[in-house]
Amino acid sequence: MTAQAPALPTRFSSRFEGIDRSLPVWLLAALALVFLMALPLGWLALVSVSGEQGFTGAHYLEAFTDPQLRKAFWNTLVMALWVGLGSLALGAPLAWLTARTDVPGRGLVRGLVLASFVTPPFLGAFAWVMLAGPNAGALNDLWRALTGAEGALVNIFSMPGLIFVVAIYTFPYVYVMISNTLELIASDLEEAGSILGASRFSVARTITIPLVAPAIFSGFILSVLQALALFGSPAILALPAGFHTITTQIWGMFHYPPRLEVAAAVSIPLLVATALLLLVQKRLLGRRGYAAVGGKGGQRRRIALGPWRYPAFAGCLAIMACAVFLPYGILAKAAFSRAWAQPLTWDNFTLRNWSFTFFEYGSTREAIVNTLELGVMSACVGAALAALLAYVARRKIIVGHQLVSFLALAPIVIPGVVLAVALFIAYTRPPLLLYGTLWILFLAYVTKEMPVGYSQADATFRAIPPELEEAGRVLGAGRLRVFAEVTAPLARSGIIASWCFIFIGVIRELSASIILFTPNTKVMSVVMFDLKEEGQFGAIAVLGIFMLVMTFGVVILVQRVLGRDFMGVRD
Amino acid sequence: MSGVRLSGLTKRYADLAAVEDLHLEVAPGELVALLGPSGCGKTTTLRLVAGFLRPEAGEIWVGQRCISSSATVVPPERRRMAMIFQSYALWPHMTVQENVAYGLRFKPELSGTERERRVSKMLKVVQLTGFESRYPGELSGGQQQRVAVARALVIEPEILLLDEPLSNLDANLREEMRFEIRRLHEAFGITTLYVTHDQAEAMVISDRVAVLNKGRVAQVGTPEDLFRRPRSRFVAEFIGNTNLVETTATGPSTVAKGPLSLHIAADGLAPGAPVLVSIRPHEIKFAPASAANMLRATIRRASYLGTAVDYEVQVEASELVLRVTAPVSPRLKPGDTATLAIDPAVCVPVSEA
Repeated sequence: MTAQAPALPTRFSSRFEGIDRSLPVWLLAALALVFLMALPLGWLALVSVSGEQGFTGAHYLEAFTDPQLRKAFWNTLVMALWVGLGSLALGAPLAWLTARTDVPGRGLVRGLVLASFVTPPFLGAFAWVMLAGPNAGALNDLWRALTGAEGALVNIFSMPGLIFVVAIYTFPYVYVMISNTLELIASDLEEAGSILGASRFSVARTITIPLVAPAIFSGFILSVLQALALFGSPAILALPAGFHTITTQIWGMFHYPPRLEVAAAVSIPLLVATALLLLVQKRLLGRRGYAAVGGKGGQRRRIALGPWRYPAFAGCLAIMACAVFLPYGILAKAAFSRAWAQPLTWDNFTLRNWSFTFFEYGSTREAIVNTLELGVMSACVGAALAALLAYVARRKIIVGHQLVSFLALAPIVIPGVVLAVALFIAYTRPPLLLYGTLWILFLAYVTKEMPVGYSQADATFRAIPPELEEAGRVLGAGRLRVFAEVTAPLARSGIIASWCFIFIGVIRELSASIILFTPNTKVMSVVMFDLKEEGQFGAIAVLGIFMLVMTFGVVILVQRVLGRDFMGVRD
Repeated sequence: MSGVRLSGLTKRYADLAAVEDLHLEVAPGELVALLGPSGCGKTTTLRLVAGFLRPEAGEIWVGQRCISSSATVVPPERRRMAMIFQSYALWPHMTVQENVAYGLRFKPELSGTERERRVSKMLKVVQLTGFESRYPGELSGGQQQRVAVARALVIEPEILLLDEPLSNLDANLREEMRFEIRRLHEAFGITTLYVTHDQAEAMVISDRVAVLNKGRVAQVGTPEDLFRRPRSRFVAEFIGNTNLVETTATGPSTVAKGPLSLHIAADGLAPGAPVLVSIRPHEIKFAPASAANMLRATIRRASYLGTAVDYEVQVEASELVLRVTAPVSPRLKPGDTATLAIDPAVCVPVSEA
């Protein structure tokens, strides 16, 4: 067959016939993205180097020489590294047990890890204040009652306490990375080793662990990143203990007198550190594909634990008790008691916390309305924008589609506090004066959640073969029409899922909100923070439970829509 | 050099027998293919031999060693076997060199230089010299396959197990690799069990083929044995195309279907007994002269296949329809009549099972 098709001359009936009329839509989406990312970050960088007369490096000098700031940097580093190690210690064995062994209750354990994954870390921190506060903490009470000792067993207001509370809500990142990788490694690879003469131990040392190593490192890096960006837990646990992390320090710079320029100068190193860590992680994952090479993926067979089955299960439950059972228990108790530190008796039972929270306390109702409004709005706009952008990038519709994908994923490296500083600077001055309105929060949320929504949308479009659209276009439908009538219906469940991820992210958001709120624009997490100042733990518990119920409702919706649990996605 | 003996092997998965009372003997240095449709238990049998599974009943012997029984199973790493997996199971984090050398790590008696020598010799055998420092992900499917072969052979195993090793290759390469594996077998002479669902592959590669059906051995024999003298409907149908004719015995070596009478390759049939006869399409000739089994037939369909023509013919005065594979010339058209000559030797009685 050597015959070649003759080149057909192309003729358009008019000059515009050759132009794709859907182009403005794609361009607009891309421009919105650039605007969303570039404006605040540009201002952030500019303000960090601007002095009274022109450019200056004074703010950076201050950021790196101020002893208090240096201490905060150091504390952040110590905390983040230990959180990373702690997350490995918790997540790796759990992942191996549930992915590769016959430990009982694997579904339950996975479900509990998911619960810990979606629990707002600051809520966990509140719960652990009630559990392990040095004076009235429930566990310390129990300890005193059992042993007659005077002092406390544990003091959660300490660096180890902080590390512990952050790690039990961060280890799911390690768990997800490792268990997803273990799921990819076919048993063949291990069996090939053992038939060649390798003992079980040799197989683990030479095959399994090297294969999982990239996932272990990248899970570690993700945990460190989470810890670096965290504001709530340090604010709740470190401040009473008398030390700062960099996020609480930045937050402090917004108190009177505000030191915006220094905040910007401190934010930039944090941003760079995050970006570098993420780069390392990408390198690790991209080095060699570690899915089964060649051929059909083999089956995965579970390792029989024998007599260790139940001890292993007990170990899993012990971890989950710290992350889920105990905190949820104490929140429930606090929500229904007059005094959360008193025993759970009928005398102590009350519904007053609920009526106080929802009907009496000044800002709660407004905050709930704000939160829901913002959640729904950000999720709708964010999911739609993410879908358009992911589509543009995946189908390579416009020039610079690589940039689209880069920008949409870029906010991953922006800690919430830094984003808030950037937005604060950008929108407290013309052309857009948004500070003091819900719009600035809306922008913060859409930006912050864009990577999550985008990844989900991208995964969805990747699964839809372009031929399905091409078949429609050959029959005469334009790109927009095909998008609306073919692609969108096929992508529906994926887009609903991305809506849900954004919604969950928004209703629990604290680190950006705490800087951007004004008295008229409080959201739930901020109100909970206020309630802590007043010592209203009952009301915090009520709001926390309300938040958890909403979150789990949406999680269940996602599972229904996607037909699988969603921990595979948010990596 | 030792052979392998499987006796009464049984493996159940939740009451469902994957392998049931399976007997098979592999002579030292012999290559036996386990052939059967999916779900026939061939891979389970192989995994039992490898020691990845424990049988519920029966035993596996290698030479004078019992390596599996329901009571004890020698773990895979102490069986001195090698296995080539369907997925190749190459370790993506190791180079070609490291993959191939892996099994030698567990032979402490070998010196470092001896190991290197063996690896490079083996890579030469599979024509992968120069690829030592590549990772498996950087090789083509055929090259990955050859790495898997080298990794298995370099340890000079007592027994070699292959689990559908060619099923992930494209058609041309698959054919090439069949001869390659046969060549390697002849060079090394390792006792080999080869699992496949592809009968052409089994026939090219093996000394003997064991056809498995529902967890049991339906028939063992040389490829020619199986093709020419199938013992059951299953084997006759599974190996190649065939015509199966339900007849009744009329004499010790004659059967009838309605008015038709056929001489077949049997003696001692009890008159009146039902007999199922298998006749390979290419054994039926359009020919004028033959002593026995002359049938008049009308051509119903003729399909040109290049080297032959596939006919469907209606035997006159009978309901019987046969498939006939005949040379391209002389060509017959639908509606033509012809005389069929069937040598009694190719009319093989088979059992229903």
